[in-house]
Amino acid sequence: MNLTNLLFYGGAGMPVVPPTIALAIGMAVALGRGLVGPDAKTARGRLRGVAWNVALIVLSAVLANALSGVSWAWLIILAAAVLVVAHPRLVRAAVAVVLVVLGLTGVAIARRAGYGYGVDQIYGMTLVGQLNLTFYLLLPQAYFFLSLGTWLGWRVVRPGREVPGPRRLLGRMAEPGNAARPWALLLLPVTVIAAAAATPNLWFGAQPTGVIWPVLVLGAAVWFIRAEPGRAAATAAFGLIGLGLAGVYLGVTYSGAGWPLPLNGAGYVEYGVIDVTSQTMADLAVIQGLALAGAGLLLAPRVAPGLVRYLGVEAYRDLAQRIQRLTETRAVAVDTAAADLRRLERDLHDGAQARLVALGMHLRAVEKLIPTSPDAALALVAEARETSARALTELRELVRGVHPPVLADRGLADALRALALDCPLRTETEIDLSGRLPASIETACYFAAAELLTNAAKHSGARAARVSAEHRNGVLRIVVTDFGIGGADVAAGSGLAGVERRLATFDGVMAVSSPPGGPTMVVIEVPCVLSPVLLSS
Amino acid sequence: MRVVVAEDLFLLRDGLVRLLEAHGFEIAAAVDSAPDLLTALLEHKPDIAIVDVRLPPTFTDDGLRAAIEARRAVPGLPVLVLSQYVEQLYARELLADQAGGVGYLLKDRVFNDDQFTDAMRAVAAGGTVMDAEVVSKLLGRRSGDEPLARLSGREREVLELMAEGRSNSAIAQRLFVTEKAVSKHSTSIFSKLDLAPSDDDNRRVLAVLAYLNG
Repeated sequence: MNLTNLLFYGGAGMPVVPPTIALAIGMAVALGRGLVGPDAKTARGRLRGVAWNVALIVLSAVLANALSGVSWAWLIILAAAVLVVAHPRLVRAAVAVVLVVLGLTGVAIARRAGYGYGVDQIYGMTLVGQLNLTFYLLLPQAYFFLSLGTWLGWRVVRPGREVPGPRRLLGRMAEPGNAARPWALLLLPVTVIAAAAATPNLWFGAQPTGVIWPVLVLGAAVWFIRAEPGRAAATAAFGLIGLGLAGVYLGVTYSGAGWPLPLNGAGYVEYGVIDVTSQTMADLAVIQGLALAGAGLLLAPRVAPGLVRYLGVEAYRDLAQRIQRLTETRAVAVDTAAADLRRLERDLHDGAQARLVALGMHLRAVEKLIPTSPDAALALVAEARETSARALTELRELVRGVHPPVLADRGLADALRALALDCPLRTETEIDLSGRLPASIETACYFAAAELLTNAAKHSGARAARVSAEHRNGVLRIVVTDFGIGGADVAAGSGLAGVERRLATFDGVMAVSSPPGGPTMVVIEVPCVLSPVLLSS
Repeated sequence: MRVVVAEDLFLLRDGLVRLLEAHGFEIAAAVDSAPDLLTALLEHKPDIAIVDVRLPPTFTDDGLRAAIEARRAVPGLPVLVLSQYVEQLYARELLADQAGGVGYLLKDRVFNDDQFTDAMRAVAAGGTVMDAEVVSKLLGRRSGDEPLARLSGREREVLELMAEGRSNSAIAQRLFVTEKAVSKHSTSIFSKLDLAPSDDDNRRVLAVLAYLNG
């Protein structure tokens, strides 16, 4: 058997020369276009371009070969060559499509194939029609191609890739934010396996049903994947488990005698990549069943959150996340508290303490001066009074930084109003808090709002700002808006990141909206309880 | 002049009483809590009350609230509120009734007994005295405003001292200018800020503070 015969088996009077020429043209085009294609700027890019082009041509040839009952199949290779030249950017997508079609073709061939009549056609590495090792590779190859094609297709058209119209192609798969999303694609191979095992005729089985039924079944699967990716993923996972259990059942009940199960064209039950032809294959079916069920079990928690909640696994995971978060925020809280104390110590030491020392020395000097030069003593006393006033001022500032008096007196609502009054920007307030919050949260939120207003005054260039606060559904929400230039960035080393970190200690969150040109709006939310005001006398 | 003093710290209360007696004031009562203050104010109806913001029982702003309540019962009852801190918010609340006879000063101002007793007399006479810190905060907040930006440096100084509640002669003394010059500045300030001029010192202060608070 020469190479040409192996590549293009001309069985049933099929042509050999045209596909060979088409393949030669295809390979030449693949190499040439790869070297001057869109990614050909670097050596790596050229290599990648050539590799994808060659892959497309070779896979097209394999497909054409597998379809050897179709006289125009070799045109597929020429079409691939044209695509390589005309739309090099679509080569990867085309590879995915060819792989999926090749996979489905392989399943169909396996359904129909008998053996013992010499070579009928060639599917990848399999000489179809001869019972040897390569025959058992038919289905594994088919499912490998199908799965690889599906995965590759997702890689090429998933959101963010530059392929025209991926959104239309993907349906709701294109919506962001669902980690389980890609797993929905698994429904495609699962549907094929299930349909192949459960019906004698689908995929051109013992009594070919034509194209309509396969298209309907596949179409329904694709529709489901596009419309309900989440449910499709869950269905795929549970389908895998079901298929696995079915395989185990199949294997342990195999007796060699007839089965009340649908048989394929070769007279066997087709289960996944296995045609159950012998005891050995039945044992392999059990192994495959266990593998499929295992894969389904691994996948289920990711794609079916409801199940996870039912099993209580999520509570555990939430707990683990909570512990992680608490550990982080506690570290921040402890560091912050330590830094605050250090700052306080330093300020006291350099400020009020030093002034009191000076005051004592002044008074001592005054003691000495009074008998001899009362005038000088008088001047020193004035100076001492000045020093004590300055010490008081500094202490006042310090106390304000530790715990603002209005906050202690009146609570957060009035403290925010006082803050707005003290702010150099003209600041409106809209505060709806009819009680007191836990003291630590009041303090944290007060300093957060103070920092935000200071930021606004320093950096925004705004003339006016707005502070609003309300407590709804167990969440305190404070919004600080300035009508300045915008462009505030949490990541840009402003005080914003610090505010966010400190609030995290109280499970608080912060969101910043600051488009260029303003306005800047910072929202902080902290879950807490609002207790009614304690009425004092 | 009869005075009621409300201060919870014994040392400070004692110091204040001595200082006031040394300056010839008569102490009608010296109390240490907000309820006692209210009783004393309504009973003695003093010429002036010196009140610490933070008093028992809750040690928050009980003193301030007692003072405001007493003024509701006895309109215009002169009250001079002392505090370790001055807050614009509290100043607003004190000024809200527009009745005059109100003062709001940092405790440190007691150090300068002459200025302090001047302030007491001004408040007792129905005047309004605001701490320089309150006034500078008010001005700071309005500094970008168009009419204020039109004031000259000297006029701003005069405005600040006026807002603190000082008379023309006190301002003149402080700025080392003649009283006539001060009154000229004052007329100019009022026209620039579009306020109705007034010879009455007290009304003048209230107008300026109302403008700054607005």
